[in-house]
Amino acid sequence: MSKAKFLTGASRRSMLQQFGAAAIGISFAGGLSACNRGGGGRTVNFYNWDTYIGPTTLDDFREATGANVNMSLFATNDELFARLRAGNPGYDVIVPSNEFVTRMSQAQMIQELDRSLIPNFDNLAPEFQDAPFDPGRRYSVPYTWLTLGIGYRKSAMPAGFVPDSWRYLFDSPQFTQRIAVLSESADLIRLCAKYKGISLNAIPDATLTEIEQMLIRQKPHIKAFHEDDGQDLLVAGEIDLVLEYCGDMAQVIAEYGDADYGWVIPREGTLINQDCLCIPTGAPNAADAHAFINYLLDAEAGQKIAEEIQYPTPNGAARELMPDSYKNNPVIFPTAEIMAASEYGAFEGDERSRLYEEIFTRISAA
Amino acid sequence: MAKEALPVAAAAVSAPPLKREKPGPLEYMRRWPLQLMVGLTLFFLYLPLITLMAFSFNDSRRNIVWQGFTFKYYEKALNNDSLIEAFVNSLTIAFFCTVISVILGALAAVMLWRFRFPGKTAVEGTIALPIVVPEICLGVAMLVFFARVMPWPQGLPWPLNLGAITIAHISFAFPFVATVVRARLSSFNRELEEAAKDLGASEWRTFWDVLVPHMQPALIAGALLAFTLSLDDFVITFFTSGPDTITFPVKVYSMLRFSVTPEVNAASTILIVVTVVLTAVGLHMQNQKPKESKA
Amino acid sequence: MQQSWSQAKAAFAAVAVPPVLWLLLFFLIPLGVIWAYTFGENVGPVTIDFTGTFANYARALEPLYLGIFWKSLVVAGLTTLLCLIVGFPVALAIAFATPRTKAWLLLLIMLPFWTNLLIRTFALIAVLREQGYVNFALEWLWNNASGFMALVGLQPLGAYEPLTLLYNNTAVVIGLVYVHLPFMVLPLYAALDRMDRSLMEASLDLGAGHLRTIWAVVVPLAAPGIASGVLITFIPALGAYLTPDLLGGTDSQMIANVIERQFKRANDWPFGAALSFLLMYLTFIAIAAQAFVQRKAERRG
Repeated sequence: MSKAKFLTGASRRSMLQQFGAAAIGISFAGGLSACNRGGGGRTVNFYNWDTYIGPTTLDDFREATGANVNMSLFATNDELFARLRAGNPGYDVIVPSNEFVTRMSQAQMIQELDRSLIPNFDNLAPEFQDAPFDPGRRYSVPYTWLTLGIGYRKSAMPAGFVPDSWRYLFDSPQFTQRIAVLSESADLIRLCAKYKGISLNAIPDATLTEIEQMLIRQKPHIKAFHEDDGQDLLVAGEIDLVLEYCGDMAQVIAEYGDADYGWVIPREGTLINQDCLCIPTGAPNAADAHAFINYLLDAEAGQKIAEEIQYPTPNGAARELMPDSYKNNPVIFPTAEIMAASEYGAFEGDERSRLYEEIFTRISAA
Repeated sequence: MAKEALPVAAAAVSAPPLKREKPGPLEYMRRWPLQLMVGLTLFFLYLPLITLMAFSFNDSRRNIVWQGFTFKYYEKALNNDSLIEAFVNSLTIAFFCTVISVILGALAAVMLWRFRFPGKTAVEGTIALPIVVPEICLGVAMLVFFARVMPWPQGLPWPLNLGAITIAHISFAFPFVATVVRARLSSFNRELEEAAKDLGASEWRTFWDVLVPHMQPALIAGALLAFTLSLDDFVITFFTSGPDTITFPVKVYSMLRFSVTPEVNAASTILIVVTVVLTAVGLHMQNQKPKESKA
Repeated sequence: MQQSWSQAKAAFAAVAVPPVLWLLLFFLIPLGVIWAYTFGENVGPVTIDFTGTFANYARALEPLYLGIFWKSLVVAGLTTLLCLIVGFPVALAIAFATPRTKAWLLLLIMLPFWTNLLIRTFALIAVLREQGYVNFALEWLWNNASGFMALVGLQPLGAYEPLTLLYNNTAVVIGLVYVHLPFMVLPLYAALDRMDRSLMEASLDLGAGHLRTIWAVVVPLAAPGIASGVLITFIPALGAYLTPDLLGGTDSQMIANVIERQFKRANDWPFGAALSFLLMYLTFIAIAAQAFVQRKAERRG
């Protein structure tokens, strides 16, 4: 998922800034790594998506608590899971999505949170204080949430036309060779189930067969299964319709304007994801990890993060502080109608993911 | 094959050809068909790089539409201390990986080329294996190995914390060196070695003064390969790196999977320019020194 | 003729112990664990039981996966062939250049590969896409040709239709050649450099042309280099997954993509391991067959 920032705020403050270009020379001496870690003593190792944090959040946290945050980045949930599968190499806070919260808690890869250390939990909007994928929020607190939808080029559509159905991606030759869809097997199959009018969880076998045949039929009309760089394909003019995450398209619209780029969540409803803060088992610094999670849920800290990353925030107190252009932005917050038709994807066991994967392999090989 | 002996030695010590009006019979670099081929290949290799450099000055988050000229991504790249730290880590790993891989690879090649021993085919096949293993498979193997079999201690001081990654890199890089050196050795004339020994040179001196000079082009090629493989490896590094040991490809990968950021382009442009300048300086200095004849 | 190891035990130990020990410790042991996984069964999200089952191999041998294997072999073979065609003249030029030019040429060939693979691939996309430089250049030529034809009174050409160079199998092969070229050039250069020139000179003196000399003299002398170049180009190309992911269309999936997804998305390590090892068994058989043929030839000679 692209966790892109689209307000180019102040550049990151760092020790090196004072040195400017001379920094390269210093870093070659190898001294750099030492001053990054040796300095304060207490460090929280934060494993996050790229550009998924406010510009000053980590420094503000250090000023508030005296603990450093060392942020490293992962690109997909699968990578995060695979990396931690054989043991935690030293991370304190990670950001898996909903399904993976369930999977990792079942595998005892994340630990139960001590809610007494996270008083800011109360800042969360009521609907986010519990979750179907983590009953009672024992393992996770929400960080942001996001939807899948269709990004499109307005000038390539018939006059006044809005591609507000999954049909145009999955089951129609209308935009032949001008379509790119995400190459995530589970997301793809689940959205096809939505198109067929059924729940995206517990899809019956017969429907799975139908979906497979439908996608094989549709394949000649699809230009590429993109690796979450679909918004770039759209901007580059390779395609006119793309299945993407809301933030990716919001970012394109923020940069190039909404005159030619549109975003729609199909009327059949969509898949909602939620990225959550969790503490992996064996975290070397669980105490500061709790403090850091608590800090991220702070109203003002949350506001700074939302301003930067422009994803919908579950933090009610932070949302109150945001301007109308964010609070009432249809690209960020879908209508109540759409929300009612949409669902979270549940973790249905590893067998299910393997089945989806095999179906996708068959579709690609067909 | 005996008649090869003299010309090999002669070619090895021959001075660079003098500049002449007409290309000599074997000066292929001065003939247009080959110049054209090399030119086209370089064009193919460099067109994307030039695009990349041009877009590092583009005032847009994407490498797609030209939005205006800016230096701001250079500023950002130079101020991004984690990017620089990752790069220093990568260079350090690549350096150690190259040195050790060249030694191990050369030894392995000499072993396979010179000796008959029981189980040779098996050893030969095993050395080729790291080239064959899909990266992801070796990555997971290293993940399990360093998590369960031989845990690499956390929190070691730099550069010891890079040990696990470096070991993993050497394991897949040195067979490449061995393959290249082995191919080179097959053109070696053993009578040179015999002659050296007849003249009373020890095993070690023969190796160092006769065999190593012959291997030299392959050692250079192997070193370049090992360096490149290590510097560019993402998959295996990903599975062996921890929060303190991020390398440039791991960092860039997680940044680029979202969208192409010009910051990364700027960093790459700096790298390219620095490499070219350093090499130019190095070559210039080498030319200043009096020529020593090796071999 | 090769020396028997027992005739020079100290020398043999000196060259054999470091690489063999390293291989054993840091390669065979890690890989051995994964090999054991190929006979294992998933019993939980992170637990694998070693049950000695062959189910993973049976699944890997299904027509679906064999088909993908075959396709990957074809793509990697084509890539290797193109690399050889492009790389041989380049290696020849480097090997026969003056020392100074040689150093520069080697650097020029290697420099692109010190730029990150992902960055390079995205740069290649920027060149090849419909609104990329290849299409811009072609459009310019087209429009000028069209203008010229109008000038001489012919029917001008129609509007330029950009070529679709990305998101198909051709793009994957172009991308793989771009990525794997040094794997071919370097071994070829190592084999060609300082080769015995007297044979070439003799051939030229006897009136053979340059092409014939290269074919009849240089290629046989460089054969081991060509073989090693083919090996270390073909096999990594077979294992490429990023290039088909980013440049390929809807039917460009290669076996490495499938393997990667087993280890990540499907969280099915035993099956991913079985697919990987199938690839390795095939290579082992190929290497053994080659050694067998070679030994037979040696005995006959």
